[in-house]
Amino acid sequence: MSGTINFTRMKGCIIVRLEVPGVIQYRDIMLRTLSATCKLISPGARARSSRASLFSAHLVSAVGEAYNNIALHGYVGREPGTIRMEIEQGSDWIRVVLADTGASFDPAGARPPDLDALPESGLGVFIMQSFVDEVTYVPGPPNTLTLFKRLDEPREASPSSRRRGPAQRV
Amino acid sequence: MHFSTSAANDVTVLRIEGELDAVSVTDIRASLNTIAEGKPARVEVDLSALRLIDSSGVGAIVSLFKAVRAYGGSLTTTGVRGQPLAIFRLLRLDRVLIA
Repeated sequence: MSGTINFTRMKGCIIVRLEVPGVIQYRDIMLRTLSATCKLISPGARARSSRASLFSAHLVSAVGEAYNNIALHGYVGREPGTIRMEIEQGSDWIRVVLADTGASFDPAGARPPDLDALPESGLGVFIMQSFVDEVTYVPGPPNTLTLFKRLDEPREASPSSRRRGPAQRV
Repeated sequence: MHFSTSAANDVTVLRIEGELDAVSVTDIRASLNTIAEGKPARVEVDLSALRLIDSSGVGAIVSLFKAVRAYGGSLTTTGVRGQPLAIFRLLRLDRVLIA
């Protein structure tokens, strides 16, 4: 097995692409890369460090749950493919696209958990949806899941709002 | 992920460090079962050095909480901060698990 990572800068945005084998053991590499990218959010935002920390915590949590779903469920019972992640980082927003060739699962179809019952499972999709501003899923192959999160209230139309419909394919 | 347990005066302290997630949770499950089987009156879960938790990790802690509560014991978590605290608040576990 092997993985790749590449980094480009385009039109003021930083784009990081990473591809790893679709098994749970590579989750940490993905999330550490994402966490490091979150720190590149504009210096002005860094001054509001608690907000930036919360932004990172939420996004890492959401992507972590998405990764779990692919590795633990999407590829179960079949030859594991890869998980490709593209992180697009703007001045105060980050878009993460995950692509896989496992079984399709649209998170919009998941039932929300009954939190009062203290559930021990079935929380991943709820965490993912709760911690980002937009979730878009396009079944494949490849399946593509797009998570978009902004740091502050939008000063202008967000890139995701200009990209309704099919998520970006990586 | 590293964890340790200590027990004194019918209080068991479980300290979890690092990341409690889908990768590491299998390493701790047996120890959680052992804690519950001992039926201490109180279990304190020290999460002050826990950097990251996911739904799998939450499930393990909630499972221990339910097991302890089932025999009449109490379980609380301490030192929860950062990303784990964000998760606890979202899932409303801060109302139940945090002293």
